[in-house]
Amino acid sequence: MINRVIEEIFIDVCEPSDNAQVIYTARQMAADIGFDETQQFLIATAVSELATNIIRYASKGIVILRLVSKMSNTGDIQGIEVTAKDNGAGISDIDKAMQEHFSTGNSLGLGLPSVKRIMDEFFIQSSPEKGTVVIAKRWGQ
Amino acid sequence: MNEKDRINNQINNQIDDNLALQILRQIPTPVMAVDRDLKIIFMNQAGCSFIGKNFEEIKGSYCYSIFNSAHCQTPECRMKKVIEGEDASKAVRNEIRINDRTVYIEYTAAPLKDDNDNIIGGLEYILDITDRVRQEQKLKEQSRIIMEISTPAIKLWDRIVVLPVVGVIDSMRAQQMMDTMLKQITKNSSKVIILDIQGVAAVDTAVANHLIKIAKATKLMGCRCIISGISPAVAQAIVQLGIDLGEINTNSTLEDALSDAFALLKFEVVRKK
Repeated sequence: MINRVIEEIFIDVCEPSDNAQVIYTARQMAADIGFDETQQFLIATAVSELATNIIRYASKGIVILRLVSKMSNTGDIQGIEVTAKDNGAGISDIDKAMQEHFSTGNSLGLGLPSVKRIMDEFFIQSSPEKGTVVIAKRWGQ
Repeated sequence: MNEKDRINNQINNQIDDNLALQILRQIPTPVMAVDRDLKIIFMNQAGCSFIGKNFEEIKGSYCYSIFNSAHCQTPECRMKKVIEGEDASKAVRNEIRINDRTVYIEYTAAPLKDDNDNIIGGLEYILDITDRVRQEQKLKEQSRIIMEISTPAIKLWDRIVVLPVVGVIDSMRAQQMMDTMLKQITKNSSKVIILDIQGVAAVDTAVANHLIKIAKATKLMGCRCIISGISPAVAQAIVQLGIDLGEINTNSTLEDALSDAFALLKFEVVRKK
């Protein structure tokens, strides 16, 4: 299925305060799609999780927020797509990283699994040479 | 040839080639063209004065030896991309060093084609965005300062302190909140601290982790910590994230938290008779 990109925003993430811009942009985009306040907050939380991971593990990277649309049986539906990319050391064991309560840093170890839970589609790729890419999508009604 | 093409052709012919060259030379932004090996074949006046060299000096030099930018000789180089036929015509940011000074630029590259549509090189125009970048850095610094000063601890009642948290919590700010709270506990011999998170933009696991740590630290100092302002959205986020707030007292509103605090300290609010 082909997704059409309606709007895209690139945000460089290299220090903790950059997270603010990521969060507010994600919230605004979710609001534009018509997600209610609770969903906006959840999406912003998932996006923030990914941005925080970049700062914590790779120190810098980029977050791309896209407003996308696709055809469905009930007509066009819109969604938000977040891509978080870095050139960090990569995740040595993705299966483990997707488990609850697993963390190599001093954290709760709930981040990636919860992003997967909140979003509808989730894709992760990681290697020591190329860093980590996470793409997650959440479709509206 | 259809009608539209004919009109276009006519317009094109009306512009004198010489005039076009003059315009290109004098346009007040750097314009450069290179051949397929990235050797400079054209640089207009603005470009020459931008790098402080004559065209004769740089003609035939590799562009990366002149600009030495952050993109030069990396896969990021848009010039190389367009020469290889990739679509990279979007303006991108870059930085170059001229005489030990960092200049921030934005450049847009396009393939240079001959009459038969073969790509024979690339061209680009450059905008100096140093002022813009400086402004952005200033703004970033300011937003950091705002964040720093937006962590007030308010003594609400005898031995009750409230700490409203607004905006985005990062680890630096969480540390500040922790410091402010712990200082307040000793200063006012507080017994109850209310952390109101109604205005927080997102509660991800890092933020939750900070909140848990703050609550634990206050407990160690013999003080109760109540987290208030748990909106339906925050509650759902915490459940979705699978975070266990454990023994931390939470309330949906600051008002409820305050009445809990009163109960803990055995205060009673009575209407005047």
